[in-house]
Amino acid sequence: MNSSTPSSDLLQLRLERVSKVFRMGEVAVEALRDVSLEVRAGTFLVMVGPSGSGKTTLLNIAGGLDSVTEGRVWFGGREMTAFDAAEMTRYRRETVGFIFQFYNLVPNLTARENVMVSTELSDNPMDVAEALRLVGLEEREDHFPSQLSGGEQQRVSIARALAKNPTLLLCDEPTGALDFETGKRVLRLLVDVKNQLGKTVILITHNSAIAQVADRVIRLRSGEIIERHDNPRPLPPEEVVW
Amino acid sequence: MSVLDRKLGRELRQHLGLLLAVTSIIAVGVMCLVTLGSSYCNLRDAKQLYYAQCQMADFSIELKKVPVAELLFFRDWPEVAAIRPRIQQYVAVDLAGVEEPLNGLVLSLPDRRGPIIDDIVLREGSYFTDRRDNEVIVNDAFAKHHRLHPGQWIKLLINNQQQELFVVGTAISSEYVYLLGAGTITPDPKRFGVFYLKQTYAEEVFDFKGSANQVLGRLSAGGRGNVKEILRRAEQRLEPYGVFTTTPLDDQMSNKFLTQEIQGLKSFAVITPVMFLAVAALVLNVLLTRLAQQQRTVIGTLKAMGYSNFQVFWHFLKFGLAVGVGGGLLGCIGGWFLASGMTTLYRSFYQFAKFENYFHANIHLIGIAVSVLCAVAGSLHGTRQVLRLKPAEAMRPKPPRVGGAILLERIGWFWRRLGSGWRMVLRNLIRSRFRTWAGIFAAAMGSSVLVNSFMMQKAIFYFIDFQFEEILRSDYDLTFKDEHGRDVVHEVELLPGVHRVEPLLDVACNFTHGRYRKKGGITGLTPNATMTVPRDQNERAISVPAYGLAFSGQLAEALHLKRGDWVGFEPIKGQRRIRHVPVAEISDSYFGTSVYADIRYLSRLIGEEYAVSGVQVATDRNPKNRRAFLRRLKQLSGLQSVAGRSDMRKTLEETVIETQSYVIILLVLFAGIMFFGSIINASLVSLAERQRELATLRVLGYGPWQIGGLLFRESIVTTLAGTILGMPLGYLLTVTTAESYASDMFRLPILITPDIWIGTLTCAVFFAVITQLLVQRSIHKMEWLDALKVQE
Repeated sequence: MNSSTPSSDLLQLRLERVSKVFRMGEVAVEALRDVSLEVRAGTFLVMVGPSGSGKTTLLNIAGGLDSVTEGRVWFGGREMTAFDAAEMTRYRRETVGFIFQFYNLVPNLTARENVMVSTELSDNPMDVAEALRLVGLEEREDHFPSQLSGGEQQRVSIARALAKNPTLLLCDEPTGALDFETGKRVLRLLVDVKNQLGKTVILITHNSAIAQVADRVIRLRSGEIIERHDNPRPLPPEEVVW
Repeated sequence: MSVLDRKLGRELRQHLGLLLAVTSIIAVGVMCLVTLGSSYCNLRDAKQLYYAQCQMADFSIELKKVPVAELLFFRDWPEVAAIRPRIQQYVAVDLAGVEEPLNGLVLSLPDRRGPIIDDIVLREGSYFTDRRDNEVIVNDAFAKHHRLHPGQWIKLLINNQQQELFVVGTAISSEYVYLLGAGTITPDPKRFGVFYLKQTYAEEVFDFKGSANQVLGRLSAGGRGNVKEILRRAEQRLEPYGVFTTTPLDDQMSNKFLTQEIQGLKSFAVITPVMFLAVAALVLNVLLTRLAQQQRTVIGTLKAMGYSNFQVFWHFLKFGLAVGVGGGLLGCIGGWFLASGMTTLYRSFYQFAKFENYFHANIHLIGIAVSVLCAVAGSLHGTRQVLRLKPAEAMRPKPPRVGGAILLERIGWFWRRLGSGWRMVLRNLIRSRFRTWAGIFAAAMGSSVLVNSFMMQKAIFYFIDFQFEEILRSDYDLTFKDEHGRDVVHEVELLPGVHRVEPLLDVACNFTHGRYRKKGGITGLTPNATMTVPRDQNERAISVPAYGLAFSGQLAEALHLKRGDWVGFEPIKGQRRIRHVPVAEISDSYFGTSVYADIRYLSRLIGEEYAVSGVQVATDRNPKNRRAFLRRLKQLSGLQSVAGRSDMRKTLEETVIETQSYVIILLVLFAGIMFFGSIINASLVSLAERQRELATLRVLGYGPWQIGGLLFRESIVTTLAGTILGMPLGYLLTVTTAESYASDMFRLPILITPDIWIGTLTCAVFFAVITQLLVQRSIHKMEWLDALKVQE
């Protein structure tokens, strides 16, 4: 793996007093309340919390998928909350790789084509075969999502996220839909991505056990950060049990 | 090919059925545009080319007799580029092997070929030779019908003398593109022909040495806009020579029919495609909205990965573009073939030197552009909705649709009577408002096309029946060259096989009322006439007034006349004194603009005691006796024309009804495509959208037919609502059609009868049922358990 590890001291992502309110008809739901957060480059950050704690919203805001109701967000010194739609698209295209709980593969495209969806966008993409080899799916590249198991689909989704060489990898419950063994294999992949490719990984989960593989852990409840701590000795994924 | 294009390709294949439904509506719209547009250009270009080739006259002046030398004054009129005096006479044609006398028009042509106004185009044989004087060139259509070829002899009854003429050639001319005999509205080359004689020979046999009775003229560029004034001056100048009529090109009968057809094509080339393409845009909209909704997550993911709104939008737009281009191409191909069919059909009505179905690239390009535009318009709404979402929102499952009571639920007594099925159906129709309106709109357009087709068909049948059963009830109408006294009635009564004879007096005249002026004619009838029965606007028989005129409603309208008004009447033959006569009745007819008067009264108006210009004859039905009658007619001198009612009717039926039947079949088919495309699209989209809900019903114990029943109820409510709304539209469309084809010669009645509505509803229900059977197939094939797991 060729790596370009940025200095671990470099502050990469900063959220300042961010709030997010969803309006559903006449009901307003406060998904995030006054959340502030800093993430340094090359960190493996796990955000843990139950359903409705605001972790997906926080991830979406970090990934430029959603806007804030209040507060400000910076990435690499640039204020994202001031981005217009085109800048936000460029940010997502050049900086972020997304991994979803339900994989979100395009059903009509094969594994290889799903990865190509991402490489065709990037100026500096990884070789598609290489991305699929990284996730161990080179043999299954011509299969459609419906012909792949859940774990395989998630690995395609990871390959897709990695293939465009993003700085920031955002993972929304990547093991949530997988069985224990497959889940651990996916975690291993993500840890390797962080260690060997030097990417910043932010992973959200409701599964506290997964937090053991992180450099840094944040706990959320009802839209607020209730705990944050560093993990000087992360466990290898193979040793995590849930 | 980009990977998203590959996705597009697979999705197009996946939705092939639905896409074909939308594509076929677009294709029909484009097909109408290309067919009508190409036919318009073909006819227009053929006309222009032919008119230029034959140097079509810009005007004609019909007179009693004028020495050619007296026409030299035209040379001093800069507005008149050239004139050609000629002789024209109606003659009877006696063809061997044809029992009845046929009608012919003789026209003189220079003995030697040269560039002339209203020239001919030879089809067979040659122009006149120096070998004999009595050579004739026969109108091509007539010659074809009677298998006449150069080298044969024919007999014409010229000036009461039978003349044998040698056929040297057959020809056509731009003044007879639409070859009409006197008093008909459809060409009947079997019974009417044009015969061209050498100028010198015509002068001799008609006793017209150095004279003519018709002047043809072409105007210079400066005179084109001023034809009426030029003709008025010419009429004044030629008054001593008995000017009967002056006819600008616009009023020339063949040109009038042809121009009207071209204009009709032009307007329908716009109206019909607009209707179909609007429906296609809406249906496509429904489909793409569904597709975009279905791919919410994909759209969200693509956006999350960094695809811009435009990239995603462009991807979905290509879906619409594929439909647009596909529909456009199919429409162009179909349109080209249909235009080719139209050209063949037109060839049976119109005679041109060159009339082909050309490939009009501009029309095809417009066709493709319009269909692409319609597809893009159809795609915009559907994709925009999803694109507006932020990626995170797009990736969340779509929130449940806004629920709550619909307005109908407030009508308690009504709502309580409905079963849960109907409640579901009504709620769904109201909540999927856009789709419901799209369905209603499509059904309304389809229904208006059906109503229009049925009304047109009804109108034509009625028109023919009314004219030939209610108004004209003679077996034969004989027109004499000159006016006779009442003795002629007795003479005709003595012919074999004649049951009853009634005299007629036709007087061509100008009517004036204030500043309004119209050319027309009055038909004088005996008060107890049974073979021409004028009718009023309610179709009740009216007796011919003893004093005053029974005026045609159409003409009365043009002259702003009502019953009791006085109208100026100036006969164009005989004493041209203007008299004022009262309008005693308003009559109605779909054929011509008839004005009736008592024959004695009319005779006195033109300074005669009792004049007869023709007779109507009821003959024996026995074919033998009828043949004897026709044979005797052939020998009758002084006869200008013979019109047989059954022949006229047969020709009308053969040409108009047959043509109209093709058009109607095609229109019903097109309406069917509109209904089918819209219903199948709405049903399948609804089926896909509600997979989970319907799967749940299936689990609850509903059978596939019951599920189908729910969808059918939705489509039948939409279809019936649209069909009913489309009926008045169809009526308006028919009024527009009838108006665009109405002329002084004929107009179509607007008839509203229950069978039109019943027929339209039946067709609509039939299309809905057929479509439902296809939808039912999808319901049977649906994987219910999988549907239950669907995320949506």
